[in-house]
Amino acid sequence: MHSFAQMPSIHTEQFGELHYDEASALLFPRGLPGFEQSRRFVLLDNPDFAPVVHLQSLETGNLCFLALPVRSVDPDYETILSEEDREALGLADADQPTVDLALLSAAQDGSLSANLLAPVVIHLAKQRGVQAVRFDSRYSHKEPLCS
Amino acid sequence: MLVIRRRVGETLVIGADIEVEVLESGGSQVKLGIRAPRAIGVVRKEIRTVGEQNQAAAQLVKQFKNPRPKPIRPV
Repeated sequence: MHSFAQMPSIHTEQFGELHYDEASALLFPRGLPGFEQSRRFVLLDNPDFAPVVHLQSLETGNLCFLALPVRSVDPDYETILSEEDREALGLADADQPTVDLALLSAAQDGSLSANLLAPVVIHLAKQRGVQAVRFDSRYSHKEPLCS
Repeated sequence: MLVIRRRVGETLVIGADIEVEVLESGGSQVKLGIRAPRAIGVVRKEIRTVGEQNQAAAQLVKQFKNPRPKPIRPV
């Protein structure tokens, strides 16, 4: 266990100086579409915002997403992973648990939507993540959130 | 929109140096092979849509001021 002072840190717009443990750093081997250069993130949890979580870049201080577990948006949601996605995640079999998140965004009128077309899928045990863009057209990249 | 009917193994060209070949077709899917210079980006349209949506999503956090959270540890 590192002492706080030895922990790596990044200056973030949202949280100020953010200290994190290497054991909680996540690698996105392909980055995210639109942010292909951003490969390292950390998942931040705050009870005040639950069930919303933050996905903070460890390379770009002002890059941070808000996300909801996909099944809190749609209880019946089933994540589909391509062969490539599984490889990037280091998922050996279908039964290994992943954290599946929908990135949130706001429209001009302030209404919130969740991206169910492309869930961010995280394999915590391997500290890996991908944004798994679906091949079907079942869900939108802007599913309205009912509050 | 230009509509062209092609069979498996047949190709069409776009401009001077882009070729699109129909490799397989069956059910509701076709498999295409694309030959293009490296400088030409080729992605599924959904990926571009998601890229634009991610740019929008990255703006949302700026609407919230947030106390300091704690990193989640791997389970």
